[in-house]
Amino acid sequence: MERVKTGVPGLDEMLRGGLLPQTTTLVEGAPGTGKTTLGMQFIYNGIIECDEPGIILTFEQFPSQFYRDAANFGWDFRRLEEEGKLRIIMTSPEVSLQDLQRVGGQIEALAREMGARRILVDSISHFQRLTHDPLQLRHLTYTFVNGLKREGLTAILTWESPVLLGEPGEHDIGIPFIVDTYIILRYVEIESAVHKALLVLKMRGSDHDKDIRQFDITSRGIEVRSRFEGHEGIMSGSPRRMADSFVQAFVRR
Amino acid sequence: MEREDLVGRVMADMDPELLNFLRTQVNSFVKWDLIRFFGENPYTTDTAENIARYAGRNVEATQAELAELAAQGVLVEQRLGEMTVYSLSSNPEVRRLIQRFLEASNDRQFRVKAIYHIIRGMR
Repeated sequence: MERVKTGVPGLDEMLRGGLLPQTTTLVEGAPGTGKTTLGMQFIYNGIIECDEPGIILTFEQFPSQFYRDAANFGWDFRRLEEEGKLRIIMTSPEVSLQDLQRVGGQIEALAREMGARRILVDSISHFQRLTHDPLQLRHLTYTFVNGLKREGLTAILTWESPVLLGEPGEHDIGIPFIVDTYIILRYVEIESAVHKALLVLKMRGSDHDKDIRQFDITSRGIEVRSRFEGHEGIMSGSPRRMADSFVQAFVRR
Repeated sequence: MEREDLVGRVMADMDPELLNFLRTQVNSFVKWDLIRFFGENPYTTDTAENIARYAGRNVEATQAELAELAAQGVLVEQRLGEMTVYSLSSNPEVRRLIQRFLEASNDRQFRVKAIYHIIRGMR
């Protein structure tokens, strides 16, 4: 089966080789967990390693911030834009949604002109600005996601979780149901130190690794490491040692 | 009077292409902000309301200046459903001139002269 490699060390292995083509992936996490970095890495590796041009659609962060942040990892986004392999478009959910629905819109024209295969949308949370009606919001997001698929794009959509530690808040609009792959990034506190955890919760049409893995943001971007050993309740943000749980469950009864 | 002429001559001592760009297109501080914004973020397409927010200006002031920049060919104005959106002209000459202007704006002396011309133009 054809795969779209993210190029993120450790992640493609979890995804059994990479994402499926023309699918959408939701990357959810609290501020600073690395959602945008993961998305930028996906776009950068696509251009450099797979010769697949990419688009970044940003609803809040200025393109100049992307250039700067990418440069910290050694990714020269300005040069890639000059070479026509990357476009960072700053716009708003209302404009991009309208644009994607019309024939010959900017995203459609750009995707065809550049031969773009990948897109990062940062962040889809801003669609909440469009309406307070959860059903309407789900409908709008579904239309948007299908527009990206129509253009042959494999997409990463970021979602901002307001919860720093612990369980994610509920998605009132059911975004995880709309997307094909759902990746969660979490802060985890273990013995007075904050670690980062990554879980592939869902991958439609493919098997995937069910482990909760540690990851780091290094000078080269995100690197996914081994699974958390000896702890449970990782995604709660405050895991317990397995032995403590055993004592709690059986000895202290 | 003579002193004012002298100041005018000193202030006009800049690259003629940039001086003309200043006098004819960057003739207000809001336009300066907008040109800098689009120069730094060249693939932006958005409504006046959102662009005003990005630029940290009020919508009324921004709306009129965006329309003028579009009329001058610096920006492109398009209808998108019920919205009017603005983006930077794809004309390479316009983009080159904006980059020259932004690079020149890094120089304090140029900025002082540019401010002088904008204030004079606003009188």
